[in-house]
Amino acid sequence: MNAPERTQAFVLDEDSGEVKIVYSADTKVANAGTFRLNKEDHTVGNLLRMQLLRDPNVRFAGYYHPHPLVYFLDMKIQTNNSTVAPVEVLSSAIEDLANETDHLITQFQDAMESWKRENDHAEMATQF
Amino acid sequence: HSLEYRKKHVAIGKHNTSYGSGLGDAPFVDSKNSAMDLKKWKNQFQLNFQQTKDPNTLVFDMIGIDAALANAIRRIVIADVPTVAIHRCYILNNTSVMQDEVLAHRLGLLPLCFNPDLFEFPPDETVVTMIDSIPEPEENLNLVFRLQVTCERDSSGKLQNQTVYAKHLKWVPIGDQKKRFKDNPPKFVYDKIIITKLGIGQTIDLTVHCAKGIGRDHAKWSPVATATYRILPSILFKKPLTQTQAKELVDICPLKVFEIEEGVVVAKNPRKCTVCRECIRKDGWDDLIALGRVRDHFIFSIESTGSIPPTQIFLTALEILQNKIDRLSNNLAAET
Repeated sequence: MNAPERTQAFVLDEDSGEVKIVYSADTKVANAGTFRLNKEDHTVGNLLRMQLLRDPNVRFAGYYHPHPLVYFLDMKIQTNNSTVAPVEVLSSAIEDLANETDHLITQFQDAMESWKRENDHAEMATQF
Repeated sequence: HSLEYRKKHVAIGKHNTSYGSGLGDAPFVDSKNSAMDLKKWKNQFQLNFQQTKDPNTLVFDMIGIDAALANAIRRIVIADVPTVAIHRCYILNNTSVMQDEVLAHRLGLLPLCFNPDLFEFPPDETVVTMIDSIPEPEENLNLVFRLQVTCERDSSGKLQNQTVYAKHLKWVPIGDQKKRFKDNPPKFVYDKIIITKLGIGQTIDLTVHCAKGIGRDHAKWSPVATATYRILPSILFKKPLTQTQAKELVDICPLKVFEIEEGVVVAKNPRKCTVCRECIRKDGWDDLIALGRVRDHFIFSIESTGSIPPTQIFLTALEILQNKIDRLSNNLAAET
């Protein structure tokens, strides 16, 4: 009864000026900032956080999803020194993830081709 | 456990687990190198298909990826891959014992064999209250099915249509759908699904509109019965076993993971292991056997409901993940 509409979980409310990412630099900690990712959840949040933790320039990376019915993430990033901004580090993490996903797609398609060749009776449903 | 072991495995002891993956492989990445040496990763990444008895289930191994990526893919497969399912039911007559809403709920859950790429997502709808007539379906957004069943006695006196099956729903092509889907008419994956049962004289007369949606909105649109992954168990021997111990070990494992080859006991089938820990339960056996999981070896199982082939589900999930990441990247560029 009080639950918000299900579609609000994944559709950006552009009418009320909702943007995907909002950045706010941290006033108290050096080289740190908070990114608010709207209409996202653990699917992307955990993935980004893990990728950020692999970066040697990152001193701190964490995210939280405050409540299941509130549809945004807060991601806090702190870098080691002032030469690298949190934004740069986040965008390179996103780029690495994009490359990984591209490679996964080609690998899967190759595996599918070689499987089909080895088993020419289609045991696996691949067609509609 | 040595650092080498910890880098590659999560250790499972008699009472607890250690070196779990809260930080993933981040503590073990050599921070002198670049954050993500893509080429090195590509060389050691593997993807292998496995045999399954059911053509709608896909089991494959992914070696070399991170737990967060595996979970992201699993979540997308369950919640974000679109399907087409029965969405709105317009009930003209229902004198059966099953209430309208229960019937509509059951109809929504029937898996529909139809390629969702052929349709677009319906526009956001306002809450519908009272309507005078069935709204016009659109040929790019909706499929229409009709269900007209009455339980009655036929000429020979036998009762007909006591059970309403999925096959009683007949497709009604609208617009140019008859031509477009001539070779592949939309149908239900399983004709024999029981929708409801009728007593004599009871009748159901309804029209349904199907629409495209995602599992996150309602579970009826989820393309999988479930999508799971498990992590390959690893069984290593810390010390050599005596002959009696070896025989005991082979017998004690309920899944026949161990075998004796040339007098030495080996973990022949680690894939079958469910990590029940029977092999380390006895006193002192914890020192003989190192039980754990290989950190980056994921055994995925995607069980499709039949609406979309499981290989297609996985590929669509990866595309959706790409889109999500690209959208973030574009918005980040716009923001800064």
